[in-house]
Amino acid sequence: MILGYLGAGALLAALVLGAFSAVLSFWAGWQQNGVMVQVGRRAFYAAAAMMVVAGAVLEWALLSHDFSLAYVTEHTDLSTPIALVAAGFYGGQEGSLLYWATVLGILGSVSLVASASLGLRLAAYAAGVMAAIVSFFLVVLVMVASPFDLLSITPPDGLGLNPVLRDGGMLIHPPVVLAGFASFAIPFSFAAAALIAGRPDTAWIAHTRRFALMAWSLQTTGLVLGMWWAYHVLGWGGYWGWDPVENVALMPWLATTAYLHSSQVQESRGRLRAWNFSLVIVAFLLVVFGTFIVRSGVVPSVHTFAISAIGPWFLAFLFVCIVFSAVLLAVRSSSLGGAAQPIAPVSREGAFVLQNLLLVGVVVVVFWGTVLPLVSGMLGQQRVVGASYYERAAGPLFVVILALMAVGPLLPWRRAAGLPSRRALIWPAATVAIAIALLLIAGVRSIPALVALPLIAAVAATCLTQYARLVRGWSRLPALLVRKRRRYGAYLAHLGLAVLVTGIAASHFWQQERDVTLAPGQQVTVGGYTLTYLGSEQRQLADHSELVGAMRFGDATLEPARATYAGLGGQSLTRVAISTTPLADVYVVLAGAGDAGAASFRVFVNPLVSWIWAGGAIIILGVLLGNIGERAPAVEAVRRRVPASVPS
Amino acid sequence: MIKWALPALVVAACVGYLIYTASGGSAEYYLTVSELPSHANSGDVRVAGVVQDDVLKSNGGLHVTFTEKDATAAVPVDYTGTLPDIFKPGITVVAEGRLGKDGVFHARTVLAKCPSRFSTTTYTQ
Repeated sequence: MILGYLGAGALLAALVLGAFSAVLSFWAGWQQNGVMVQVGRRAFYAAAAMMVVAGAVLEWALLSHDFSLAYVTEHTDLSTPIALVAAGFYGGQEGSLLYWATVLGILGSVSLVASASLGLRLAAYAAGVMAAIVSFFLVVLVMVASPFDLLSITPPDGLGLNPVLRDGGMLIHPPVVLAGFASFAIPFSFAAAALIAGRPDTAWIAHTRRFALMAWSLQTTGLVLGMWWAYHVLGWGGYWGWDPVENVALMPWLATTAYLHSSQVQESRGRLRAWNFSLVIVAFLLVVFGTFIVRSGVVPSVHTFAISAIGPWFLAFLFVCIVFSAVLLAVRSSSLGGAAQPIAPVSREGAFVLQNLLLVGVVVVVFWGTVLPLVSGMLGQQRVVGASYYERAAGPLFVVILALMAVGPLLPWRRAAGLPSRRALIWPAATVAIAIALLLIAGVRSIPALVALPLIAAVAATCLTQYARLVRGWSRLPALLVRKRRRYGAYLAHLGLAVLVTGIAASHFWQQERDVTLAPGQQVTVGGYTLTYLGSEQRQLADHSELVGAMRFGDATLEPARATYAGLGGQSLTRVAISTTPLADVYVVLAGAGDAGAASFRVFVNPLVSWIWAGGAIIILGVLLGNIGERAPAVEAVRRRVPASVPS
Repeated sequence: MIKWALPALVVAACVGYLIYTASGGSAEYYLTVSELPSHANSGDVRVAGVVQDDVLKSNGGLHVTFTEKDATAAVPVDYTGTLPDIFKPGITVVAEGRLGKDGVFHARTVLAKCPSRFSTTTYTQ
């Protein structure tokens, strides 16, 4: 009971402080009042501290099973493992909003600490925008979706977590995705502040680079973890279903991927200012849009999210953000034209621009597929698109992006004299030829596979040749690696993406599946992998029973199962059995038991799926290695070069 | 900047063309059971409805028939494959497939409205 009041009080205090920080920061920035700017910033820190207190209170209430709180009752019970009770913090609607706001409060505070060097007005407006965003979340938390609402009667036990969510994935996937979403607000706040303050130079980009990278890395991790979780838990043999919930997480990631590349053009050439502002703004708007889609239930999804009162609030917030951003961009558009030379089509920056256009194209494709039910529903009969739409519309764009990844890093900055040097292109070109030949010999005749896989190989070849050039000057190697770690980290991330996309392509083109009913002792062979059915048994566990069908695969025994939770209205849960071999995953789902010990299975052979998880890990490793330690010196070097590129 | 208007236009045209051709071929009607008869010739459609009590499983659970119903109409559904975990009478499913001449909806996939990551269905039960 007391925890409910304590938490609600902390939230209210955070709201007052956040709103105060927003108003004061804008006013102080306008008045150029240095003392008041600092006060506004400190009010933001205080609001963040209050949110941390509220979060700690909620976590305490969860761990102490304080069922007087409706939130605790709805999302946990006494039998839930303690780690999942703790995960209840972000497991429900209200808690996830509090988690989001708290992450933004903490990261926002970190981003504001060193912001004074950006100049009074830019720093003040950044604090103001961020405080306004935090205040919006706090208004929703205080007024419509409080995690601290009390029940009139305290029940003896809670309702518990849905069994689908009782999984290790629950501990890592949602917090990473939500933290990724929250951190998109930081580049947005500084971009908006730079526009308000009339400072379209690279200061805001340099200051928020780490945060943009962090948002991107968290989102990459979140997407890969989500795929991993779906693959291991849901039992349909795949990892990505183009569901609206997945799409809205993918779109801001694509926009940020574009921004991470185009911002380099502004850093080194002073171009694409308006474009960079737009990308950061669009990425944030897509996050807000996604939250609205996911929480309002306006689009048919296999996830029926708790349709709650917060939908309209997020729609209103989305409209405010769109209008605010559009007005800002329109007002400042005249000052955004760069003074530097035009961009040569065949150059590094030219490749970045094309890659950006293509990534935005993919965003448009995914956006259209996501909102089509909404749009067609308004015009008449509701229509939906499935995976084939996304594959056919986005696939070709991804292929061209892969080609750019193979060629782009070999192009020099500024104007390339005609074509890039032939010698540089020899390796990727040879790799494409060899890959096509190998695939043809292996009997592959599918055109998409013959296009995509050689291009992926070329991407890897390009990255490896960059490293090979490094090794040639091996005596200077350690120093060079450290000095240019930003670049070599990026190549490692590219390499990771090549590994990841190989996994996606192979499992997409060559997945095999078979439905079988077997008597004990019978065998089934799928894609060259032979499984022997041993028999099935019923097991009784604490809160559920399990039907387990044992399959022998080589030396191992796979035990796909179906659990039934009697306490939850007989809800059943598939337990997939996966055996990972270097070339493919053998993925067995138990469909049910038949007569005389027979059982039915759906067996998938998924080639190279483990490459997807490995590729994700390599990408993150590349980002980390490229950006740890002091601010990457590449930025400094580039800064010194900028004046020279501007014609006097 | 003017120089980049042309590539931007080309990319935009390609994206538009891809969206147009891809959605023309694969956009499916999303219907309720009562809207189904008027779309008998629409190719593959998705039908949302509530699973009734007459679920019959055979072939070790790989073949299943059931009736899907909304407020006013019902349709028998025939499906071969693995079912979603939370499939049971009373839940809402989305069947993807087409209505046969026999009046039976032959489903290629059956999706359940599954519990969200942010909410528990147990509370509403």
